[in-house]
Amino acid sequence: MSDLAHLVTVPWRRLRALGSWEITTGIVVVAVLMIASLLAPLIAPYPPNQIDVLHSLQPPSWHHWMGTDFVGRDVWSRVLYGLRIDMLVVAVITYLGLAIGVIVGTVAGYVGGWFDAIVGRVADTVIAFPFIVLVLAVIAIVGPGLKGVAIGIIIAGWALYARLARSEMLAMREQPFLMSTKALGYSHVRAIFRHALPNLVRTSLVYSTVDVVVNMLVLAGMSYLGLGQQAPGADLGSIIASGQGYLLSAWWITTIPGAVLVLFGLGVSLIGDGITRGDLPQGAL
Amino acid sequence: MALLTVAGLRIAFSHRGGSTEVVRGVEFAVEPGETVGLVGESGSGKSLACRSIIRLMPAHATMTASKVEFDGRDVLAMSAKELRDHRAHSVGMIFQDPYSCFDPTMRIGEQVAETLRVNAGLEGDAAKARALELLESVDIASPEQRFRAYPHELSGGMRQRVMIAIAISASPKLLIADEPTTALDVTTQAQILGLIEQRRRESGMAVLLVSHDFGVIAQACDRVVVMYGGYVVEAGPVAEVCARPQHPYTRGLLSSIPSLESAGRRVRRAGIPGQPPNPADLVAGCPFADRCAQVRPACRELHVALEGVGDGHVTACPYVRDGVPVTNAGGSR
Repeated sequence: MSDLAHLVTVPWRRLRALGSWEITTGIVVVAVLMIASLLAPLIAPYPPNQIDVLHSLQPPSWHHWMGTDFVGRDVWSRVLYGLRIDMLVVAVITYLGLAIGVIVGTVAGYVGGWFDAIVGRVADTVIAFPFIVLVLAVIAIVGPGLKGVAIGIIIAGWALYARLARSEMLAMREQPFLMSTKALGYSHVRAIFRHALPNLVRTSLVYSTVDVVVNMLVLAGMSYLGLGQQAPGADLGSIIASGQGYLLSAWWITTIPGAVLVLFGLGVSLIGDGITRGDLPQGAL
Repeated sequence: MALLTVAGLRIAFSHRGGSTEVVRGVEFAVEPGETVGLVGESGSGKSLACRSIIRLMPAHATMTASKVEFDGRDVLAMSAKELRDHRAHSVGMIFQDPYSCFDPTMRIGEQVAETLRVNAGLEGDAAKARALELLESVDIASPEQRFRAYPHELSGGMRQRVMIAIAISASPKLLIADEPTTALDVTTQAQILGLIEQRRRESGMAVLLVSHDFGVIAQACDRVVVMYGGYVVEAGPVAEVCARPQHPYTRGLLSSIPSLESAGRRVRRAGIPGQPPNPADLVAGCPFADRCAQVRPACRELHVALEGVGDGHVTACPYVRDGVPVTNAGGSR
């Protein structure tokens, strides 16, 4: 029994040790949503696409926690599966964009010269372009679907990380500890990836908490417009869109998935706030 | 044959509207196994001069030299790969500021072990074992615990010890110590200098000790090179230079060192009047002319060149050895 209790209390104490309630709350909210979506096949009461026309547009009840939509699909099950696909896609596109941007920016800041000039101008151009328009343009080329949205967001999103990493690298390049990697005869690759990058990735990681929320909203927005997740697949944006016509008679189809989206955004933002203020212990990032 | 010979070394910083020369034709040599001191005030070019040995120039600085020869090899002609090898194996370098010379996100022991893996070809546990040995050899207590510490968890003196461990890990023939004790308190200073001396005696490497403190140099070195305004103004065996300083600047430096005898007595140290020269203002002539008590009109046109005064002792001032009375020297010594 006590072993079982430890399973819960030890991580909880560690969480409390992080300091502020913001970061604790944020981690708990995001963790709960993540675990729930990962366990979707186990905890979802119905298959997400199971149609039951006889029980369509049911309000929330014990049988259907979040009610049912216009063809009787269980909204709670669809939200779980939708969250699952959204979180996966958002994590991949945000951190792929971050990885590309940080690597390109760090190298540009380190080597300088023409490579830096090219990277800088391309990044400026991408940033100057309205984000949504750029994503829409890519979708127009690649075609609607999650793949198009993902490629579009990565193409639009790497540039800010590149710029962040580049400016940090410029300052770090003159730091004695990078000078000493030269004095020790280390290769440039080692200096950049083993010593410079771990020291400047923190800023980008903090910024990525904002980016995750933005990307989640863009993804949901694209699905809402019918350019992202295609029917009958569930994702938060498409669920919200499917309930739009019934907003007055069946508010739950649109409102509850929307609230889940807001909750996720809030949780991630709280974590970001905490990290920015330095609530994490040294070495945790 | 000398281990290191530097001659005709010039270093200039380029900036908008031209370039400023901060090292103007420096020469010095280091014999195997000896300790040479490079002394001078801030901005005299001593740090840059010693970095030229591994061609490690800051951004916007360019160096030219008629000769930089290390152990029979021409450093100026080295390819990028040879230069890396030279930096990794032949020369170890200790920097002034032990607080910012470590990667803040990597454990101390890992940074020592990394050098061993990259430069000494050790792997895995062997690198770790050797790193622990090295930490122990630089008198770090409980090396196993320190191995896991992050740089910010160690004191300045301790970090300087780790830096020495890293610098000597590849058994270099020359250790460059660029103001290794400036950032440390006096007791730690003596320990670090003692440690460098001990390592030198055991391994037979030569040491080039850069300092602005003549006391440190006099205590630790066999020979001394005095720099001023980007020039070498005097060089020779430490005892000889201290006993018979030839250049007015060296005299000024020596007379401004407080001594124990004068402690407590109200003796005013004879400082050197004026400010160190701004490298951009130096045009021709002796760089010390503006502050020199015995300056002559000819000093403004002087071509700075070192001339021997016996026993390997050279000076750039052509007048002192004529027996000209020196008004500025002496102090309370």
